[in-house]
Amino acid sequence: MTSDRQAFLLLSINHEHVPLEERECYSLDEEQIGHLYQSLNDKGIAKESLVLSTCNRFELYACLPSSEADGRHLVETLSTFHELDFMHVQNHAKIRNGEEAIEHLIEVSAGLRSQITGEAEVFGQVKEAYARCQRYRHAGKVINRVFQKSFQAAKLIRHTTPIGQGQINISNVAVDLSSRIFGDISDTGVLVIGTGDISEKTSKALRSRGVTRFGIASRTLERAEEVAADWGGEALLLDEIDSYLNSYDTVIASTDADSPVIMKSFLKPLLAKRKDRPLFLIDLGLPRNVDQACQDFDEVFLYNLDDLAKIAEDNLNERQKTITESQAIAHEKAEAIWSSLLKRELG
Amino acid sequence: MSLLGLEDRQWILLATVVFASSFILGAYSALKLRRKTGRPYMLGLVCFGWILQTIGLYARGLEYGGCPLANRFELVQFMVWSAICLYIFVGPAFRVSLLGVFTSSFATLFSILSLAIPSWDSPERFPIFGDSPWIEMHAALALFSYGVFGILALTSIMYLLQSRSLKTKSMGGFFPFMPSIVELAHINTRLLWIGFVILTVSLIIGSVYWTGDLASVDTLKVSTTATVWLAYGVLLFFRAKQSVSSKRFSWICIGFFIAALVSLDVVDQQPSAKEVDTPPDLQGS
Repeated sequence: MTSDRQAFLLLSINHEHVPLEERECYSLDEEQIGHLYQSLNDKGIAKESLVLSTCNRFELYACLPSSEADGRHLVETLSTFHELDFMHVQNHAKIRNGEEAIEHLIEVSAGLRSQITGEAEVFGQVKEAYARCQRYRHAGKVINRVFQKSFQAAKLIRHTTPIGQGQINISNVAVDLSSRIFGDISDTGVLVIGTGDISEKTSKALRSRGVTRFGIASRTLERAEEVAADWGGEALLLDEIDSYLNSYDTVIASTDADSPVIMKSFLKPLLAKRKDRPLFLIDLGLPRNVDQACQDFDEVFLYNLDDLAKIAEDNLNERQKTITESQAIAHEKAEAIWSSLLKRELG
Repeated sequence: MSLLGLEDRQWILLATVVFASSFILGAYSALKLRRKTGRPYMLGLVCFGWILQTIGLYARGLEYGGCPLANRFELVQFMVWSAICLYIFVGPAFRVSLLGVFTSSFATLFSILSLAIPSWDSPERFPIFGDSPWIEMHAALALFSYGVFGILALTSIMYLLQSRSLKTKSMGGFFPFMPSIVELAHINTRLLWIGFVILTVSLIIGSVYWTGDLASVDTLKVSTTATVWLAYGVLLFFRAKQSVSSKRFSWICIGFFIAALVSLDVVDQQPSAKEVDTPPDLQGS
């Protein structure tokens, strides 16, 4: 690189090498990010820069004059901004240069460096950070090219490798299973028995996939109405379950009852009237809310908390197996992006 | 007969290689790479195999001056051709993931079987349609309905596999890419309707000729064909009344298709000496 060229640098403080309690002090909200951009602008350190702040990482991508390419200026800016000791910040920060920084960006965007491998949320966060950077007018030729090309590379990784396949949280696993039973789940009805964190999340996940018909059953109508008002749906009395169960396709049970609320003997006459329509029972209760023997019916699919957790774990293991393949793509693409920047004399 | 420099069997062999390749590609993609082969690629590959098979069957047909349905090899090939035809022209409307892979495996299996048993392609056999295009149509439609029932057997297998995977909580392999059990159950019912209607039309055409000369077709052949038709009809009746579960329905569809294949053996019997003496335009299939 010639002296009149710029250097592309990354300062990263993330969950891979900094524990949560120390990472906390680098976390920035929208307003603070604006101040940091202002600070970078005032000092004239970086011609272009981008700040990414998520719960797992703080990253500062910057385009500097090559004479300042060792990243000391970035560490200094950050320590001044956070009023922290220079050495303290330097110990936490990893500096990456040029091609390495781009490779890191692609890996972050594709979810390869996330705590939950392959999760898609981080891609949205990086895109949002890029949009914010454009709003603050801190994106120039280099940042624009690097990020747009890196997004393409991340999409390629997500589409051509199984890195993002298979659901890895319990709620989404339940939604996935529901799709494998019913296909289009927007026409299905969901009955929620009892309330709990996972059943709320599962209901939300089902709603986000188009389910609109919910029933909330509880021991008392008041409690059912209270939850129904909060989550949305029809309030129902649990004692009358045999009168309405057949109008639902999925049942999420998470009561704190000591004995099962759905027994095989209870289901038998109801299933005869269902005319072969499958019934998906999600038992999130502990002790279990659904008698295991209900699984004996051909049209009943019963999954408990352990079953869902195991599927999520297996999916995560499968994702982790494909990391090497994904990293190879990221490396190849970073090399190509970097050499195109050099050709354009931007790097 | 040779066409475009290749013998009819060579065209069919090439088609079989293409069907096998699409099956291997689809299966490898789903099982090893854990991603689904795009529908356009699978459809394109199967279409290519189908065109090669059509050329082979056309070349064979030129030899007879009619539909190539003279021996067991040709019957099986025509059934495979019909199943692929259904997949290409009706399959996209069903939007069944992996149907291409399953259809390719079906085509590969039966094509290899028919090519590997030389006695099935008996050169002594001759078409029995005489100069009646209606009898030819009767036979072609009957075979086409068998192709539909073949696809029905495949989607029934898919239903049972998907249902079993959900029951046993096994999430790997083909299962993440397969359609839902509710979709498969609907498709199975529609395929049964399609196959039954085609078989009924075929038998109506055939019966017009048969009632004109009752002795023209063996009683065993008529009763076997009628039994296959009746069996699928009864199944359709119970399915429409929703009095047979999807799981049982799938098992029955597979069983009926195997029975229908076995019945081809009876349907394929050479005409008796009496029938050979009968003028060709009065002979039934």
